[in-house]
Amino acid sequence: MTGIYMAIVIFYAAIPCSFAQQPGIKSFKLLDDNEPFKINCLVKTNEGYIYAGTTNGLYSFDGIRFKKNNFLQAGMKDTVTAIFEDNNNLLWTGFKSGRIAKKIKGKLEYIEVEEGDSKVAITSFIQDKQNNIWFATNGEGIYYFSNKHLYLINTENGLSDLHVRTLALTSNGDVLAATDQGINICRLVNGKATVNVIGPKNGLPDYYVTSIAAAGNNTYWIGMQEKGFCLYDHSSGKITIPAAAQSWSYGQVNELLVSQKNLWIATEENGLLKQSGMNSPAEFYNSSTGIQNKINNLLQDNEGNIWMSTATALIAITGNKLKLLPVYSPEVFETIHATLCDYQNNIWVGTDAAIIKYSFVNGSYTEKKYGFSSLNSKTDITSLYQDINHTIWIGTMGKGIILFNPETGQSRSLSENPLLQNASILAITGSSNTVCAGGLEGVAMIFNITGKNKIITEKYSFTNYNDIENVGNNYIYSIYKDSHGRIWFGTDGKGITVLDNGKLTTYNKTNGLKDDHIYSFTEDKNGNIWFNTEGAGIYSFDGKTFKNYTGTDGISDLKITALKTGPLGNIILVNKNGLDILNPERGSFSYINNKHGIGDINTGMGSVTQDTAGNIVLSTLQGIVMYTPVINAADHPKTIIENVQLFLTDVDKNVKGNFKYDQNNFQFNFTGLYYTSPDEVRYQYKLDGLDTGWVLTRDRNVTFPKLQPGTYKFHIRSSLNENFTNADEATYEFVIERPVWKRPWFIILSIIILLALAYWYIKRREKQLKKVQQLQQEKIQFEFEVLRNQVNPHFLFNSFNTLISYIEEDPAMAVDYVEKLSAFFRNIVNYRDQDVITLDEEMDVLKTYFYLQQKRHGKNLVLNISVSEEEKKLIFIPPLTLQLLIENAIKHNAVSKETPLEITIDLENKNRLVIKNNINPKISREPGTGTGLQNIIKRYSLLSNEPVLVKNDGIHFNVILPILQKLY
Amino acid sequence: MLKKPIIFFCLLILFSSNVSAPPVLYGITSGSITFRSDAPLELIKAISTELKGIFNAEKKQFAFTLNVNSFKGFNSPLQQEHFNENYLESNKYPRASFEGKIIEDIELNKNGLYSIRAKGNLTVHGITQERIIKCELSIKNNVVSIKSNFTVLLADHNITIPKVVHEKLASEIKVEVKADMIEK
Repeated sequence: MTGIYMAIVIFYAAIPCSFAQQPGIKSFKLLDDNEPFKINCLVKTNEGYIYAGTTNGLYSFDGIRFKKNNFLQAGMKDTVTAIFEDNNNLLWTGFKSGRIAKKIKGKLEYIEVEEGDSKVAITSFIQDKQNNIWFATNGEGIYYFSNKHLYLINTENGLSDLHVRTLALTSNGDVLAATDQGINICRLVNGKATVNVIGPKNGLPDYYVTSIAAAGNNTYWIGMQEKGFCLYDHSSGKITIPAAAQSWSYGQVNELLVSQKNLWIATEENGLLKQSGMNSPAEFYNSSTGIQNKINNLLQDNEGNIWMSTATALIAITGNKLKLLPVYSPEVFETIHATLCDYQNNIWVGTDAAIIKYSFVNGSYTEKKYGFSSLNSKTDITSLYQDINHTIWIGTMGKGIILFNPETGQSRSLSENPLLQNASILAITGSSNTVCAGGLEGVAMIFNITGKNKIITEKYSFTNYNDIENVGNNYIYSIYKDSHGRIWFGTDGKGITVLDNGKLTTYNKTNGLKDDHIYSFTEDKNGNIWFNTEGAGIYSFDGKTFKNYTGTDGISDLKITALKTGPLGNIILVNKNGLDILNPERGSFSYINNKHGIGDINTGMGSVTQDTAGNIVLSTLQGIVMYTPVINAADHPKTIIENVQLFLTDVDKNVKGNFKYDQNNFQFNFTGLYYTSPDEVRYQYKLDGLDTGWVLTRDRNVTFPKLQPGTYKFHIRSSLNENFTNADEATYEFVIERPVWKRPWFIILSIIILLALAYWYIKRREKQLKKVQQLQQEKIQFEFEVLRNQVNPHFLFNSFNTLISYIEEDPAMAVDYVEKLSAFFRNIVNYRDQDVITLDEEMDVLKTYFYLQQKRHGKNLVLNISVSEEEKKLIFIPPLTLQLLIENAIKHNAVSKETPLEITIDLENKNRLVIKNNINPKISREPGTGTGLQNIIKRYSLLSNEPVLVKNDGIHFNVILPILQKLY
Repeated sequence: MLKKPIIFFCLLILFSSNVSAPPVLYGITSGSITFRSDAPLELIKAISTELKGIFNAEKKQFAFTLNVNSFKGFNSPLQQEHFNENYLESNKYPRASFEGKIIEDIELNKNGLYSIRAKGNLTVHGITQERIIKCELSIKNNVVSIKSNFTVLLADHNITIPKVVHEKLASEIKVEVKADMIEK
């Protein structure tokens, strides 16, 4: 009996039915006017959003609040019995009334089908491989949409029962329908539905099938009314009844959920069951563990939490993520400073002068306590380690290391190393064939383990590092041998010393470390070494540089008890209140804390251990807590823009928005979906085009009133802490158009039009000026013509001849004649400057002229004027036009008794002045320039749009003048 | 001696219940089928009043049939000829029919208006398609009136349209059925 002590069993007890518990159960009640209402179905969308179908309608749930999804038509209400999101992320809702609605722009709209609606409740939807939507009903069978029509599969097609509980799509595209009369396999062949029934004849234990859950490899868990559950292999048609379900006594199965290796079973009367293997018995979660007995629906969120609906509540548990084993009393907890999970996953804790083993079998545990006579009753056990020979190394304060063989119960003091005499051990770590021990006053040693050491009495070979600078006489918090064989020493105030191939390197504040008190080491999957410090957070070291993570990176508490690499490669920081879980790829932290129902974690440095799978085992006041990370679980909030509102009306958030200049008031509602701890989510938003930087907020909406025209991109990201590096981001792009009058094309067009107008105006003015100028010229020429005509010798000669004859015969007439002649010339002089004169004035001239001419020709010259006095005053005419035309008539025609000349001036249609004379051509023509008529035509062309018409039919000569409005 | 009144009483009950029982089998007295093809270029509409059919109110089963040749009211005689010869090939497939069963589990023995759906086989152009057809059924004084609107996809019944008349014939035809039925 040299140095070997038999372990004394102080306490042995088996507690037969202590179940594992779910810490952190969260319960949400749906209330309408304080009246709870029932959840009929639960669905998770592709985004991860949870929807609940209730007797009060459709609700979306963000982890904090239920938000009612209203119908487009206000006031509409219907009981939701099925929810489904199709491949295009369109949400379908089935109702108790048999109707179906789609969610369009945030509002539910009933669909209208020619075939009419079901008259019974919709129970389930699926989308087949041809993207046809199928839905099951409680009493009419199964419907499916195909090529614009709705078709029905019922008993006529061979469906065994019209009451269909649920549908499931198999890997090969068949549809499984759970009915009151077995499983129906529905298949569409050339547009025809065929149904094959699987019932008790095929080995199904029960007729009544309530639920189906895919189990991988084209196999499906089948939940039943009476006979529990079984596994159906759709490829072979084989049905397997697991041992756990062979004498099922837990009543009706309502829903099944597959999560990793576990099958969760919601029952009608016996709460929730977790089945971890085909043959092991189930773990129970029912009213005795804080969960109700009647569970209707099950769902797993993206973070691995399990949600279930009961009669009046929506309940979340952490699922397989956390398990609480309430194995010891608070008094025992006070004495625990070290834990160990052995190679059989038994959990050992070090208490005062003893260790306790907790064995877990089928969800319940037994405990066994081993005391050591070499320890006095107050000796602290600081560390526990099991080596490859399964020997347990027990580090103590002041009593060195005790070795313990759990199989034989033998133990001894590790006395072969003199340094361990009354030594205080702080940490024992190890890997394969080495065990490292560190402690106070320079205890730093590594033991080599061989097969011989299986016998506890066999001595160990070891190396002491008490002569190393910085290590030798220091407190060694941790010694760690990494996968490359390097040995890391963490010291109290002297930094890190690493022994690599016999070479020692020290890293401390001179190498950039902010804290030289190094507590523990771990190595990640990429071979980086991680360590935690007393107060400066943690560091990663890739062999070249140190990377520091502190509070600003998301560490919730810098007082870190232990640092571990989790089974999925996360770095897990344990503090008094929980776990900070670092995703090394993203650099982001997530948390397990009092929100999950854990806390009061043992701060003993040796009190965190890992099971054989690497899961974290903690000692807490409430008991042992096991943390099992969920594969593919989200460890950060999923950022979702819930809706974009323009003046508080939803716009389509999925397409780039295009708005008018006055559509400028935007509200963004968003969420960082994180069901684990939704109230910890904070946000940063940025509006490109307006802001330059990110704005931190806890609010879940932001409003931008009166945005100026421009191109915008709204960014929103969410995080569990102030560290937004690699945070999940959602964006919405939109454009506010400039008003029409500010757009380039409009401005250019306006300039062009203005230029064109100016050009046109200038051209027109130019033309007019030219016209006026021309008129002036014509007038001058005309005056000249008239004057020349009047002073032409013939006229004077004729006038004088007439005068002479009157002087002798009738002197009074002669005087009159001379007066008229004089008046005529005065008129010519008076009017020659004017462009136009009234017809009345022209007639005065004409009458004077005609008087002179008539005196010469007597009754052979006749002038008829048929224009009224009023009209004469309204009509304008270029001066001397009529005089000239009459002069022409007299000039070109013979005037004699045989051939009288009759001239008429007529107003035709009130718009044309017609000067007409009969033609009697003179034999001897009086000479004339012939420019008179031409001149009139030209002048008129400048004054009027209407032309002067000259008609000569051989009998009459007509000149038709247009009527002029007064222009000048 | 006591037995006789009992038997009599039983008979009375039996008889009276027979009298008050609603008729089970109905036959069409007047029925019409109208179809409409709303193509971009042409609206085709035709009607047939030669709809025949029976309805079993107890089993909720029915069968309707129609002589395809009996459609009248086309835009032109040529159109009618095309309809009969090219599209529906009425010489080859003279009859169109729909027979099946009512989906809803409702009692049809009282006066009233019922909105029902029938699942059955629709045969047009020799091709049978399983269809659900919604109809309004009213029962009044033992007269059952049926009114229904549905569409027929030409492709479902292998009715091919030459490309030339594609713009004139819609790919789906709207059908309206009206029928009055009385006890048979």
